[in-house]
Amino acid sequence: MAVKPQVLEEKEVYISPYFPEYVRPKIEDPGLDETIKRLTPEKIEKAYQAVFGKETARIKAIIETCIHCGLCAEACQWYLSNDRDPTYSPVAKVKMSAWELIKRKGKVEPGLVYHIARVVFTECNICHRCSLYCPFGLDITFIIGLVRRFCFLLGVVPQRMFEMNQAFMATLNQVWISQSDYIDTLMWREEEGMYELKNLRVPLNKEGVEVIWYPLAAEPKAGVYHIDRIAKIFQVAGVNWAMVTINDAWDSSNMPMFTRDFFTMQRIVKGLYENAAKFRAKKLVLTE
Amino acid sequence: MGFLESVALYSFLRGPMVWLAFIIFIFGSIYRIYTLINLAKKEKVVLPFINIKAAIKSYLHWLIPFASRNWRLKPYFTIFTFLFHTGLIFVPIFLYAHNALWYESWGISWWTLPEIVADVWTIFVIIGCIFFIGRRIFDPTVRFVTNYADFIFVFICLFTFLTGFLAHYQWVLPYKAMLNLHILFGEIMLIAIPFTRLTHMYYFFFTRAWMASQAASWKTKDW
Ligand code: HEM
Ligand code: HEM
Ligand code: SF4
Ligand code: SF4
Repeated sequence: MAVKPQVLEEKEVYISPYFPEYVRPKIEDPGLDETIKRLTPEKIEKAYQAVFGKETARIKAIIETCIHCGLCAEACQWYLSNDRDPTYSPVAKVKMSAWELIKRKGKVEPGLVYHIARVVFTECNICHRCSLYCPFGLDITFIIGLVRRFCFLLGVVPQRMFEMNQAFMATLNQVWISQSDYIDTLMWREEEGMYELKNLRVPLNKEGVEVIWYPLAAEPKAGVYHIDRIAKIFQVAGVNWAMVTINDAWDSSNMPMFTRDFFTMQRIVKGLYENAAKFRAKKLVLTE
Repeated sequence: MGFLESVALYSFLRGPMVWLAFIIFIFGSIYRIYTLINLAKKEKVVLPFINIKAAIKSYLHWLIPFASRNWRLKPYFTIFTFLFHTGLIFVPIFLYAHNALWYESWGISWWTLPEIVADVWTIFVIIGCIFFIGRRIFDPTVRFVTNYADFIFVFICLFTFLTGFLAHYQWVLPYKAMLNLHILFGEIMLIAIPFTRLTHMYYFFFTRAWMASQAASWKTKDW
């Protein structure tokens, strides 16, 4: 029997003034609603110039090759799960964001920045499937990423994503775990695990190991039992492994990638590699 | 009608304009490819990343009908686009009438298509164009991302093939007028290739190479 979801209340709708076909529920998000109030034409143009100003081979080839055939639509979960609404197709997202920015050379109003940010942040997962369905293999995700960077430079990012990005800026991990908290958690889990596996160790900052495991920060924060489970597997498998607690570089979930905050992205990756080099690890294992 | 049929127009289109069209087409294309490669050299990650083997596999899968998943998902589209594109490239090169012109001017000629094959293939190209126009009008997904230029590209192809065909059978307009129109559209098409999104003709090989190389690095395939 098909279960029909019940609509509890009629939601207010947002109809884009730029693309009347774009009809969505109204949402409240201070990351978008408040931040666009601070924009000025100069700021917008400057951010545009920083991202799209210099012509690069990839931007040029992607924009100048797309023949607007719509074949990429078939790939997109957003398009397929919204009754094939044309405004969800990958090329439509590029049309409503990058084409519009490029056409107007960055001279756009805050209202359009709102529309663009909503499209690129809340209606695309950067999954890359569309590129595998496009007959030219156009890297649509790359373009969406650039538009996200444009929005990020302007600070127009959904609140939750921006907060997560700030956590990384401040602590290099997703959930504001301090170094002492982290060490404490790992040692606690070692102790817990010992009841089940004799002599269980969670080796910390050990030199010359085979494997370093970098968890997601959510594991020591919310899924603590992962730590002792993984430790047991390593120990029973006889792997010479360790976890790292120094320099705050241990969370492998590089979320700033989704806001295209290049600076923080780089700090994270660099930190992870530097720690690996310091302890001369041969392999890195990351939680995915 | 007088001007359209005139020998003056014919000699202009068959003389300087042919030269101009081919020169712009050839040098424009070289320029476009050259500038793109040069730009790519300035990006740190593009050229060193290219995986030729993956690229060639990807070309083959997308240049053979139904060899990629999306070609299989869209069978009608695939049939039309392959008839259209193969016709667009092979019919003018191997057409008897075109060969005769090359022979007349340069004394060179090569293998030609039998008349019936050329005619049928031309009709397929015309049907393909109508199919593309229909999609752009009636498929909401395609309509949303279509602009005037997209129609113009298809119409340039449509008119070139239609006028060539009609001239051959001397239908609708007097032969000379139709032929002049045909040559004009053919030349517009050649000139348009380097300057419009019709450059996809060669950018195809670059954009595919890039995506194929990325897909290979993720240990997946892009077809
Ligand atoms: C650049 C200058 C061009 C010249 C001078 C030219 C000339 C001609 C001539 C003289 C004919 C023959 C008409 C007849 O049979 O009496 C013809 C037919 C044709 N041409 Fe062209 N053409 C040119 C470009 C093109 C291009 C670029 C295309 C397509 C991409 C094209 C496609 C055709 C087709 C499809 C036919 C008709 C074939 C049939 O008989 O069914 N031509 N052209
Ligand atoms: C090696 C040469 C070429 C390749 C690999 C190529 C490839 C493609 C591909 C992959 C598409 C996208 C969707 C589709 O399959 O229709 C396309 C569309 C198109 N191509 Fe080409 N193409 C080539 C040459 C040309 C030339 C020479 C022209 C015309 C002068 C042309 C005109 C078009 C048009 C008008 C469309 C759009 C069809 C639509 O409206 O959906 N192509 N081409
Ligand atoms: S990358 Fe974005 S647009 Fe492309 S298929 Fe995934 S969700 Fe859709
Ligand atoms: S499939 Fe590729 S060429 Fe076609 S509309 Fe999508 S991005 Fe453009």
